[in-house]
Parts: sequence; C-alpha cells; structure tokens
Amino acid sequence: MKVLVAVKRVIDYNVKIRVKSDNSGVETANVKFSMNPFDEIAVEEAVRLKEAGKVAEIVVVSMGPAAAQETIRTALAMGADRGILVQSDDELQPLAVAKLLKAVADKEQPALVILGKQAIDDDSNQTGQMLAALLGWSQGTFASKVELGDAAVVTREVDGGLETLSLKLPAVITTDLRLNEPRYASLPNIMKAKKKPIETLAPADLGVDTAPRLVTLKVEEPAKRQAGIKVPDVAALVDKLKNEAKVI
Amino acid sequence: MTILLPDLLATCRDALATVKGLHGAAKEAVTALVAVNGKVDGARLEANQQAAHGYAWLTTYVAALEQMLAWAERLEAAGRFGELEQLMVQSAFGEYVAQIYGGIPMSQGELIRPADLGLDAKGCHLHASAATGTLRRQGNAAPVRMRIAELIKDGHHFGEPGLDDETLDLIREQFRRFVEDQVVPYAHDWHLKDELIPIEVVDAVAEMGVFGLTLPEEYGGLGMGKTAMCVVTEELSRGYIGVGSLGTRSEIAGELIRLGGTEEQKREWLPKIATGEILPTAVFTEPNTGSDLGSLRTRAVKDGDTYVVTGNKTWITHAARTDVMTLLVRTDPATKDWKGLSMLIAPKPRGTESDPFPAAGMTGGEIKVLGYRGMKEYELGFDGFQVPAANLLGGVEGQGFKQLMETFESARIQTAARAVGVAQNAMEIGLKYANERVQFGKPIYAFPRVACKIAWMAVETMVARQLTYFAAREKDGGHRCDIEAGMAKLLAARVAWSNADNALQVHGGNGYAEEYQISRVLCDARILNIFEGAAEIQAQVIARGLLSGGRG
Repeated sequence: MKVLVAVKRVIDYNVKIRVKSDNSGVETANVKFSMNPFDEIAVEEAVRLKEAGKVAEIVVVSMGPAAAQETIRTALAMGADRGILVQSDDELQPLAVAKLLKAVADKEQPALVILGKQAIDDDSNQTGQMLAALLGWSQGTFASKVELGDAAVVTREVDGGLETLSLKLPAVITTDLRLNEPRYASLPNIMKAKKKPIETLAPADLGVDTAPRLVTLKVEEPAKRQAGIKVPDVAALVDKLKNEAKVI
Repeated sequence: MTILLPDLLATCRDALATVKGLHGAAKEAVTALVAVNGKVDGARLEANQQAAHGYAWLTTYVAALEQMLAWAERLEAAGRFGELEQLMVQSAFGEYVAQIYGGIPMSQGELIRPADLGLDAKGCHLHASAATGTLRRQGNAAPVRMRIAELIKDGHHFGEPGLDDETLDLIREQFRRFVEDQVVPYAHDWHLKDELIPIEVVDAVAEMGVFGLTLPEEYGGLGMGKTAMCVVTEELSRGYIGVGSLGTRSEIAGELIRLGGTEEQKREWLPKIATGEILPTAVFTEPNTGSDLGSLRTRAVKDGDTYVVTGNKTWITHAARTDVMTLLVRTDPATKDWKGLSMLIAPKPRGTESDPFPAAGMTGGEIKVLGYRGMKEYELGFDGFQVPAANLLGGVEGQGFKQLMETFESARIQTAARAVGVAQNAMEIGLKYANERVQFGKPIYAFPRVACKIAWMAVETMVARQLTYFAAREKDGGHRCDIEAGMAKLLAARVAWSNADNALQVHGGNGYAEEYQISRVLCDARILNIFEGAAEIQAQVIARGLLSGGRG
C-alpha cells in the first residue's frame, strides 16, 4: 500500500509573527520556517503504519517555493521514502493546493492521503476536505486514532465524545493534535534522507490553474489590550456595566 | 545618528590588515624576549610567560576577527547578511580592536596591553589607521548594542550560524527540539539532586546517533565531519553541559582507537562505541599529575597475557557507569617522562548505584563538584587490576602519550563547541529573565545596562562559534589545527564564563538562588576554563606553537 503525505512549509510556531507595515501580509524575511506541526503528525502516522508493515511506500509532497525542499527533506529524515515538490512562488490557496494534490494522487495512485487538519499560518482547515471531494474519496478529518485494515478506521474527537468512522479505501485522513507525538530525525536517518529522491514539478506539469480565487484585503495585528481602571465602589461599577459596557 | 558604519566590511578589512601589522610587530618583540638564536628557550619562555601568553591571546583575537569577517563575506555572498549580522560584525570588530590596543582580558584580573608584548607607544601608533580608530570609537558604542538588543529581543534569532549547509541546519533543528523536550525541563533537577543523567536519556542520545557521529562508516559510524559534531555538541550543551559531554568520551575513545588501534581493535571496539552499546571513559589524570601528564605514575606490568595495573587516578568523569576505560599507564618503569607511557583499552563491568565499581582490583570514590554533574567525577584506585595484554592500543608499548596527543585537536574542538552551547544558553536565560522581570514599572531589558550586556553576550557567542567552526573546518579539511582548536577552546571557555556571570548578574539576587537555573549554568560554565587544557596551559601550547614553528 502506498501513502501520500502532504506537508507545508510555514513560519515556525515559536516565531512571534509581525505584520508588514503596508498591511499586505506578515513579515517573512529573516524568519524561521519549519514543517507545519499537524503535517509532522501526518508524516509520523505514515511512518508508524510503515513500521507496522501496513504500508509499503510513503511519498511526501509539498507545494511552495524551492525552500520547501527542506521541509520535504525533514519528512524524508523522519522516514518517508521519496518526495515531490510542486514548485511555485505564487500564492497557493487551499483550492489550488487541493487540485494539485488531486493531480499528484491521480499520478501516484495511493491508497491513502494523510494531511494535517490545518496549517498554522492561515488556519484554513479546507485542503483535506476539498481534496476528498475532488477525488470523490471518503474522508476522516481530525483523526485522533487511525487503524488500517481493509478499511481505515478513524477515531475523531467531537464535542460530545469520540466518533469512530470506517472509511472505504482509498481515503483522505486529516490529523489532529493527539494522534501521535512525532519523532526527532536521528543522525543516521538524516544521512539516509540525503540519498532519497525529490522530484520537482511545476503546477503546469500537472495541468492545474493555481490562480487565487480570493483576494486578501488587509492583514492587521490584533488590537492591543487596553489598561483596566479601578472603580471606587459597587455603584460606580454597576453604572459602568449598565451605561458604558451595556452588558446589564 | 546612523548606527551602522558606512562601508562596514571595507572598514573591517582595513582594520584587520592594520591589526595584523601590530600582530606581526608583537611577534617580533615577543620572539626577542623568549628566543635565543632564533629558537624558543624554555627558561626565557617561562620568565616571559605573560608576554608569551598575551601573544597567544592576541593571535586568538586576530583569528577571531578574521573568521567574523569571513562569516560576514559568506553571508553577504548568499544574500543573508541581515541587519543583525552586520551589527554583530561591527560590534565584534569595535570591541576586539579596542581591546587589542587597550587591553585583552586573559581572565578578569589579567589584562594584556601592547606594552606587555614589548610594543611601545610609537610602535602602536605605527600600527593604527583611520579604520581602527573608527571601529574603536563607534564600532561597539552603546547605540549599536541597544539596536542588537532590540533585534534579539524575541529570543528566536541570534544571527545566522552561516554554515550554509541544509543538512547541518536540519541536524541543528532536530537536536534543538530533542533538547527542548528531553533535556531542558529536567537538567536543573538532575543538577540539584546531583544525579546521573537518566540512562533513558543516554540511550536516546545514542539512538540519535551521537556516539558514532564522526566514526568511519566501515566501523559502524556515520562518517560525518567535526563541523557536524560541533553543531550537535553545541545544541546538546545548550540544554545541559552534561548531555553535551556524553559524546566527549566516545569521541576521545573513538579517536584513540581509530588513529592508534590495530585493525582488530578497531573492528572490536568502534562499532560498539558507535551504537552506544558500550560507554567509554577516559582515565588519564592522577592526584599529582594534571597538566603535566607525562609524569604520571600508574604502572602496568605485563604478566603473561595480562597487564596488572597499580596506581591512582583522579578526575575520571562517568567512571562508574561505563564499560571500558582508555587507561593511560606507565609500562616502562625506567622512564619518568611521556616516553614510557602506553594506552590500554581496559574493559570493566558497568557499575550500579549500590556497587559502582564491581571490578576486581579497582575501587573508586566520588568527588563532589560545583557543576558539570550528570556523569559524576571519581577518583580511582587500581591494585592488581587486570587488562588483557591484547588490549594494548596499537600493540606497541611506549606510544600512549603520542596516541593521546593525536586526539587533542578533536577533543578541543568538541570542548569549544560545548562552551559555545553553554554560552548560548546563558545568554538566552539572561534574555528571558530580563524580558520577564519588571522593576521601576518596566521589564529590566528596557534598561541599557541590562540590554547591552545581553547584546554583547550574543555577539561574543557568535565570535566564539565562528572560531570553533573554523577549527572544525580545518580538521575536516585534513589540516593540522592544534593551534586553531586551542584558540577556539580558549576563547569559547572565557565567553561561556563571562556570559554565565553576566546572565546571573541580570538575575540579581534570584540568580544566586539555587532554584534558578542560571545558578547551575554558572557552575557548569566554570569548568570550561579548566578541563581539556586549562586556559593557562592552552595559552602556553598556542604560544609555543606560534613562536617556535613556522606557524602564526
């Protein structure tokens, strides 16, 4: 069985995000990037399935600039077998990514596609669902447990408790935080990853139009918290709640 | 005012050339003090130790500036020479050039000034230029350090390491995460309880591939270079010096056996060292034999097919929980110097908490220490302890000292990297505290005395790092680098100590409380100036090498 794992290069979760002075986006110059944490969980899950003998090959795919190779290399060092970079310096919105992933899936014919449930930069939480729809495959989103047999049994954390789904293969699974704890790439595996192949494609090679459908109007920092005030007595407090905050 | 100097790199290049002129004059003057008929004279070298060691320090500074400039040029070529990196180069040049003319601290109380090197005012004036003047006045002025402080405030970016190697970047990132998860939360507790680093952590370090990092692939290692070793060591030591030092003993044993062992010994020992299946320890120093190792007295007498060892050893790190010793002994009782020494590969059963030294003929006692815990320090007694004769390293007696010397370059580079990691940790801890601690209505990082201290720590850590990487690259390139490795270790150890001391100062009274981890880092940093060649010995070795040979 072949698994396709999608990984995204995002601003590292430790970095304090700064908005560009022209409000067109966030500052990316001299900023540390790393693999989207949910995608790391996706890679880890695939590697565990392989170690359990249920998966024969893991193909990791990323869309983005040339530097996204580093993200693919990290996944290879964690245990994936080969990589595909769909290289583009343009803005890629979830629908475009889903279409590109569909094209890669058509080509690779995996039994399973695993992705993070969302990327921590734009928090869209759309790509996995769109991909399943485009492929016409079953989907198990926000997986907190995956068991693979003839079907994929996916446990999801929902408001009321746990929901368990049985998915016919091929299927799309998106990962939640508690699915697993990703490993560190060891030195031997980092060295092995250097020899694993990465294929580079252009969106045009896959026949996909990646033109954005949405326009970003403005990016702003959250409003700064205002300092509080002290009120002299209960009466003043009630007055302010009633007439200023208008909550009572 | 503009903080960044116009034509920064041109100014630095110009200043470096000028400083090299001064360095050349210093060499002439110091040589005149210590040499007779063009050869270094032992008695004169000792009589003029201040000047000779000062010359070693001056050379270290020149080398450091050279490497900072090379770093800047590499970054510029790669389009990654950002504002922070530019300011760091400027600050480093400003400070070090000023110290070269005004006084280089060999330690807090020992400043070396040009006059101490036999240079008069006229000589100094001759070797000064507009560029050195500009850098001395403005290079590391307070506004420069304030701007650096602002740029590092978030604690995510302290300047590009500049290795320009994707694999090394990936290694750094993975080890940084490993350390953040597995080491940082626990290190202080291990220190306070004076415990051995849990064996699970040692196993995890082994699994990460640390112990076989530089060993050749044919012997089960990864065949990676010393630069990779530096990156790994730096990151591990950033979490805890004890964890960064686990690899030191494997590196020493690995180098000893790789360079001095017979083919059979390599095949037997190296693969097990590489996987961490066996943990080695280095057993060299004795109660009366530290820096003067050649005079050691522990005897090994050959009796049939075993060596019988008698004597005392001390300052043996991780002695109990290890499986094999690289044991330096005197096999020729007629000698008193290094010529009669041999190295034995001496297996012993791994000790437990209740029985730390189960081997027959071997006893041990723990030495309580201020810092650098986690592996524990021991003194050992050997009385009839047996080692198979086949375990004589290289199979020939009398080679021990030479075999050990061959490992020094590598061990010193590794130690320099440990110091860089500790220096980085101290700086980051100081920065974090300064951002969180509020006094007089604002975080104390807003006060220039605090911010400038931390900015300089970041700059000098980068200087030590670049000099360390340089030594590693020289080693990887197959060049002799005893002097370069010594300089990196000398400087990085001083930087680690001053960073730890200043970071503790930033903590005020809290830093003096055992509860705060900076108190540990201070104790950990203190060892770096002592072990693997004390600062004075290091300066002596560098000075002798520079003044007697064609080098430097």
